[in-house]
Amino acid sequence: MKEIYSINHKQTSINISGSKIESVREKNILKTGLRIYKDGFIGVSGAIGKFDADELSKRANSALKAKVEYPYEITSNIKKDVIINNEIFKDNDFINEIEEVLDYLRKNQSSFIFSNKINMSTVDTSLKNEENLNLNYKDSAITVELVFKEKSSSNIMDGAIVFEDRKYNKNDFISISDDFLNAYKNNVEFKKEGKYPVVFASIDDTPFIKFISDLNGRVFGTGSSLFSKNLGKKIFNDSFTLYNSLSPEDICLQPFFDAEGTINKDYRFPLIENGVLKAANTDKKTAAMFNLPLTGSAVCDYDSIPQPGISKLKVKECEKTAKELLGGDMGIFVADAAGGDFTPDGNFATPVQLAFLYDGEKIIGRLPELQISSNIFEMYGNSFRGVSKNDIWPLGNIKAMIMDMDVKKL
Amino acid sequence: MFKFSKNLYTDVRIEEVFETNITFTLGKISEYKIRNYKAAFIRVFDGDRWFYSSTSDLDEIQNEIKKLSKMAKPNDKINDNPIVKKMEVNSGTFLKFKDNDISKVSEEDKLNLLKGMFPQVCENKYIKMWTARYIDCRKVKEFFSSKGSNIKFDTQRCGFSMGFVMSEGNKKLNESYQKASCCFEDLKGKNDELKKYINKCEYFLLNSKPVEKGTYTVVLSPLAAGVFAHESFGHKSESDFMIGDETMKKEWALGKKVGSDILTIVDDGNVLGSGYTPFDDEGSHAKKTYLIKDGVLAGRLHSSSTAAILEEDLTGNARSINFEYEPIVRMTTTYIEAGNETKDELISKVKNGIYVETIKHGSGMSTFTMAPSLSYVIRDGKIAEPVNISVVTGNVFKTLSEIDGVSNELELLSFVTGGCGKMEQYPLPVGFGGPYVRVNNLNVQ
Repeated sequence: MKEIYSINHKQTSINISGSKIESVREKNILKTGLRIYKDGFIGVSGAIGKFDADELSKRANSALKAKVEYPYEITSNIKKDVIINNEIFKDNDFINEIEEVLDYLRKNQSSFIFSNKINMSTVDTSLKNEENLNLNYKDSAITVELVFKEKSSSNIMDGAIVFEDRKYNKNDFISISDDFLNAYKNNVEFKKEGKYPVVFASIDDTPFIKFISDLNGRVFGTGSSLFSKNLGKKIFNDSFTLYNSLSPEDICLQPFFDAEGTINKDYRFPLIENGVLKAANTDKKTAAMFNLPLTGSAVCDYDSIPQPGISKLKVKECEKTAKELLGGDMGIFVADAAGGDFTPDGNFATPVQLAFLYDGEKIIGRLPELQISSNIFEMYGNSFRGVSKNDIWPLGNIKAMIMDMDVKKL
Repeated sequence: MFKFSKNLYTDVRIEEVFETNITFTLGKISEYKIRNYKAAFIRVFDGDRWFYSSTSDLDEIQNEIKKLSKMAKPNDKINDNPIVKKMEVNSGTFLKFKDNDISKVSEEDKLNLLKGMFPQVCENKYIKMWTARYIDCRKVKEFFSSKGSNIKFDTQRCGFSMGFVMSEGNKKLNESYQKASCCFEDLKGKNDELKKYINKCEYFLLNSKPVEKGTYTVVLSPLAAGVFAHESFGHKSESDFMIGDETMKKEWALGKKVGSDILTIVDDGNVLGSGYTPFDDEGSHAKKTYLIKDGVLAGRLHSSSTAAILEEDLTGNARSINFEYEPIVRMTTTYIEAGNETKDELISKVKNGIYVETIKHGSGMSTFTMAPSLSYVIRDGKIAEPVNISVVTGNVFKTLSEIDGVSNELELLSFVTGGCGKMEQYPLPVGFGGPYVRVNNLNVQ
């Protein structure tokens, strides 16, 4: 049985250097993988760009000799298209719009230098096989990763304005930038070490590192995970629900199906539900091997064999705004925390290179570099306040995840 | 070969790639991939802006040149542009690995290399989950420019990684043993070393305790020292961060004292290993660049753009991860040079400190970080009990001056998994290493 997995990525990428557009990069690359399933084994071949179907088939057949086992039911008889036809910009408008934003920032935020990328991408992904599987996903988004540095700073960079969205509005982009940069210029004091509500943006993976490693089905199933003995047990806060999500509501440019064609209800699978550990991330092989629920978490390159992984971890929002979750406290907003990690037993510590004081509606000012620490069972247990129902900014679909942690000056 | 547009600078990079990835999970084969492709990246420069395109259809290169040229503004002074003037013109064929081409090693030999190590892993009762990976990559690159460059050269690396998770009750340890080289033969005969490493990990698993948080003198292994050199200082030597930035130009003026007298950091694309870059992706020759010499800022890494703007020499550091990306300033093999003390002498002078042997990852802005895996207390000059540490941090600018001991043995390391990330471009193969290095006043959590 043959199956074709193809990804077509079109992109215009603007590179900014010294607050000006330095380059424009265009690409339109098709990557195709052919999977052949035969006698309980899988063979895969791949091509970039134009390909000879016979040659691809010959190579996939040849790969079968490696005897990679795949005695699982192939996803079949589903036809589903999710085509998000959102024209964000017309032709050359993208470059002109970004020119205008940069022009504004050069004039109105002249104490900063801006650099890095703003991309406009369209990704078209499909998975089709001879057993009537025909899944298609097409999506477009703008991805902003605008790095800023204060001219007087001796750092190589001081922070970044980051968001990805299917919609774009120049004034919103400018307003986010102004909020961030004006707060950056306003230094505020960190008075006393202690426990504070720490606010993570929902696009930040830092607080999820342990879930990414220890909720991998293979690690979990072999008993090597910190959570291995907790399946079905309530180990976190009632209000903590964690999904593996491929929902277009939660993530841009990623198809609603996993690399094996598994589609979850509402495109999400709860790994932790109301504090109870329900599942670890599995592909078909891992689910069968360890008798775990199939979570639709298969990931792979266009020409690889599916493996368990994660595209997006999503925490369920609560009914409160960020302001209500803070309940009158001032929060510490983590804008950049690089290099921290969890120990095997779940203790967590990270420096926060860029932190802001945050009142739940507005970032007030820049705090000095901080150190935050806790333990995974605390962070998502008694110390977990929730994820806001509202977005932090008008672009990017970014919520505030708030938990109490030990904070001290670095 | 190509027709380049008049009054514009143009170059074309063609990459012919061969890659193997064989993975076993718990002893069963779970990935078997041999990838072969040829693709190109095209650049056009009009003196003001660059225009790039990538294509997997080599017959389309000429059309892509035409398309990009239309986007650019013709400039009859393009050859006088400082960036264009800075570009090296090289020609010739430089195939270093013609006689030990990794793509010619049989698949059976690659499989057997991995399988031969399975018993070492299987016989340890604490290893619950493991993967064995063999990875190689060979690239033959051709580079043509409107200035007359016409070169063909190759790079290759191969290696294996035995990754495992040990578990005993609530104690867990995630570690890996990895070897990489440019030559397949170098990967053979590592079973005893692997066994010793697994035994060391078992001891760590059973005996490690949470560290007492605080400020310590830390001795870094060559691996940790290499990460420190790469993260804490190497990225700051990438001069694209300085463009249009007067503060950085003053802050990082060559000749400035930035570290202790015994500290010398080098980047060198000529070193064989995973950072080997005989020519960069603008066709410039590799150079040995002293970033810090005897504690003094001695040089930085350049592309032709940054070298022209900062009026410095090319260093051969314009690199891209693959044909879909433009070259940007990146490291190659970065290391701290050896000093005079032995490893034992270095450790003997620490009353109460930490020895970091392996790390999971590191990062570096004004604060550098490393997340240690295998680490130990140093007590009264001797390595003592193992400890679990979340993160070691320090201020880069202060830490470079806190180095007060460097051992006399230099170890350069190569890798086949992971790599260096800079903005969108990850992973780029790099090498790093150093001697054992003693650093005071690091924050250990």
